[in-house]
Amino acid sequence: MNKTSLDTNLKKLKKNAFRVSKVRGETASRVRCPGGEIDVDSLQRVVDIARKYGKGMVNITNRQGFEIPGIDLADVEEVNKALQLIIENRGVNQEDYNGGYPASGTRNVVACPGKQLCPFANYDTKKFAQEIDKAIFPNDHHVKIAFTGCSNDCAHTRLNDFGIIGMSEPQYNKDRCVGCEQCVKYCKKRSVGALKVVNGKIERDANKCVGCALCVNYCPTRAWTRSKEEYFRVVLLGRTGKKNPRMAEDFMRWADHDTVKKVICNVYAYLDEYLDKAAVESKEHIGYIVDRTGFEEFLKYIMKDVTPNPKCEIQGRIYWGGKRYDQGNELRQSMFRFSEREE
Amino acid sequence: MGFVYKTEEFNKVLEALESKYRIFAPVLKVGEGRFRDTDVIRYDYISRIEDAELEERSDFSFKEILMPLSETMFYFTEDEIKEADYDARPVIVLMRSCDIHAVKRLDQMYTGNGPANDWFYERLRDRVKFALIGCGKACPNSFCVDMGSNKTDEYAFSIDMIDGKVYCDVKDKEMLAAFEGAGGAKDNVEPRFVTEAEFRVERPEEVTVELFKDPMWDEYTKRCVNCGRCNFVCPTCTCFTIQDIFYTDNGRVGERRRVNASCMVDGYTDVAGGLVMRKTNGERMRFKVLHKVYDFRKRFGYDMCVGCGRCDTVCPEYISFANCINKLNARVKEVSANV
Amino acid sequence: MCNCGKNEYTPVPSKLQDIIKHTAQEWTFRFTYVGDVKPGQFFQISIPKVGECPISVSGIGPDYVDLTLRAVGKVTDYLFENFKAGDSLFLRGPYGNGFDVHEFEGGELIIVVGGTAVSPVRGVVQYLCETECAKDVHMIAGFKDPGEIMFKADLKDWAEKIDLTLTVDGAPEGYAGKVGLVTKYIPDIPIRDISKCKAIVVGPPPMIRFSMIELVKRGLSEDNVWISDSRRMSCGIGKCGHCRINDKYVCIDGPVFKFSEHKTLID
Repeated sequence: MNKTSLDTNLKKLKKNAFRVSKVRGETASRVRCPGGEIDVDSLQRVVDIARKYGKGMVNITNRQGFEIPGIDLADVEEVNKALQLIIENRGVNQEDYNGGYPASGTRNVVACPGKQLCPFANYDTKKFAQEIDKAIFPNDHHVKIAFTGCSNDCAHTRLNDFGIIGMSEPQYNKDRCVGCEQCVKYCKKRSVGALKVVNGKIERDANKCVGCALCVNYCPTRAWTRSKEEYFRVVLLGRTGKKNPRMAEDFMRWADHDTVKKVICNVYAYLDEYLDKAAVESKEHIGYIVDRTGFEEFLKYIMKDVTPNPKCEIQGRIYWGGKRYDQGNELRQSMFRFSEREE
Repeated sequence: MGFVYKTEEFNKVLEALESKYRIFAPVLKVGEGRFRDTDVIRYDYISRIEDAELEERSDFSFKEILMPLSETMFYFTEDEIKEADYDARPVIVLMRSCDIHAVKRLDQMYTGNGPANDWFYERLRDRVKFALIGCGKACPNSFCVDMGSNKTDEYAFSIDMIDGKVYCDVKDKEMLAAFEGAGGAKDNVEPRFVTEAEFRVERPEEVTVELFKDPMWDEYTKRCVNCGRCNFVCPTCTCFTIQDIFYTDNGRVGERRRVNASCMVDGYTDVAGGLVMRKTNGERMRFKVLHKVYDFRKRFGYDMCVGCGRCDTVCPEYISFANCINKLNARVKEVSANV
Repeated sequence: MCNCGKNEYTPVPSKLQDIIKHTAQEWTFRFTYVGDVKPGQFFQISIPKVGECPISVSGIGPDYVDLTLRAVGKVTDYLFENFKAGDSLFLRGPYGNGFDVHEFEGGELIIVVGGTAVSPVRGVVQYLCETECAKDVHMIAGFKDPGEIMFKADLKDWAEKIDLTLTVDGAPEGYAGKVGLVTKYIPDIPIRDISKCKAIVVGPPPMIRFSMIELVKRGLSEDNVWISDSRRMSCGIGKCGHCRINDKYVCIDGPVFKFSEHKTLID
């Protein structure tokens, strides 16, 4: 088969959200689903593309998108036309009609099921994810953002550059409390143990409380209710990777919606300024850039024109952990081969 | 005497009544449900009829006005015991037929069980009158018709909100002036009652001792999480626990209060020394269910449960009390057939 | 204001006349009280800011009641640690049905008690000791070990008037008294007419269960046996619900029940 001349601009292809395949002449289309949500018409279109241009199989990606492999490079234009319905239905920003996705650097914005489905969620994760996607996409900078409804962090936000974790401030009406202590029990067993009984009523350690609102879920009398306000914990610069995989660290807690949104949007100016122009494929985890510029400079950029809500608390300095494989690859303790172990 | 009002006119009735009474009604509390952006309907004071939730059944019952979830009984100073004050202003409580029937059960327990009456209940009860919210439809999971609590004529006045108009049947002569002065049209008004239900419940007549140890309860040991919601929302549950406390900032002063108790929740039967009477949730379910549809009747001649269905709706584990009664009834028949 | 009558929850002041220490954990508190009381009834000892606990009457005097308790909870611990004779405390009661002492007069009676359960029957025994039929009262009193024996003076006094068997579950070597569970001595009680004989059995549930097996073996009717029960209680007056068993409330229908009725009550 010689359908194509194979003279393909791979840089352009990748920016157009196609992956380079190990099979020469083939590519894979990456379908963006902000907030991990897809309507049935779009899903049907994914099926149709996979059947017509692919091999009848679809990969579900780690970041809640779809990837249709086995597409001939010659069919890219046709696939882009077919993607138009999905792009429109998903409300993803576009530059050229029928031109497919205009960028791939800023990854699909991930969200757990959120308050539409999950009993524990403290806000509408999908809606917020989609709102952020609208605000930041398309962009070539390699930025990973995830939204999760509560501190269970089912969306694994701590492996992202920006992780947004939902919080509610528990409101206590002591007149409705019968001292059954179920909130205390569940907070201790399933959360952080921020509640205790004093004189038959409950005291909440506001500093210890992570705002998961389990107490609200388990209260049988509505003594505990959620704050009308939705709050967020913002965690920064987690990542996987070869050199220094690490969990994102706390940056803000009890932040409001606007503060979170502004901080995320501000990161692009910082990247425009400080991304290593010589970086391979113009791609660097933000954390490595922060290592060069210092956290203060990063802070200056992401807090530009941000007036955090009064309740919002901000971490002045952040220290990240994780294994430094560039400094050593040893297993930490008593390395041995299983087959040679002593009795 | 019947009246038909526009909403604004009926608010004038409420305004007139408020010179003497406070109005306690089911109110939709936005965002105060278990989950984010879910609501709860519970009782609170209102001034305008629009503030009352008249369409859906309240999640928590009216009983909080007569037996508050947490009620201070006594204040203690170093050398004095003082009965806690209460708000003695008269109250009109808007409630459905099933709940008006439930009041009889509360009265029975607090003023008709044993030689002594419950002083704290009586003083709250004395200031309360009841107004009927008519029922245009059966509530979800309800079985009031089968429990005989679907109809009542024990109300000061009734309210039926139909197509933006308020229909009232007024029985209380003292309140009549407030109704006559508001400008509504006089008419023959009959409150609406539910007479048919989708879900039918059949109660057992006699429950023998064998049924107490029957394996049918084991299912609930596995399913129930003993949260006690069924008790807290029940308009006929009356149990309470007395707690004494001293104020942490001043150990010499303190109070004695009582809080609603649940026979499903841990601690209900614990005695000093460590003995627990009902450990499994199945035993607790049996204790509760038989009280509602058998033990209470054996003692007082009528069933405790009024079939409002709140316990079914609130159960986080989808345990149906109503279906349990049917299962019990079937089991009673099965066991007696085998004897 | 409401015309609700007497507030039964109001604690009534009572002066502590004396404290009699039986063992380290079991003391009798003699509270000032004037009024009708029956053995087997109970009072709520009420300590403001600490709590209340139901305790059965172990003795009745012209101006006092004895309440014997074990230090096993918040309220009892507080009592043991903080009060002495002459102090003022609070009570409410008496509550419950209690024993009708006349029921047991003029016939043969078996009493089986274990530990602190002597309290509710003490008044019955004291009454019967002064009647002509005292010799027909056969009492078996069991304690865990010699150190746990309570009401020693009473037991000594009763031993002269009624047929008393004092036993301990276990004892160090050289102990002169009887050893063994109360059930061991039931078969030996001399009874002339078992069909008319009555019995009072009070103690921990297993003790009652096994004693009943022995008594029924001897031909005693379950209708002729009385027991005294206890449950968690908050109010003591049939309101709080904690002590309910089936259609009965231990606080107002009991704590004394006929065994034949009580055995149909299932927690």
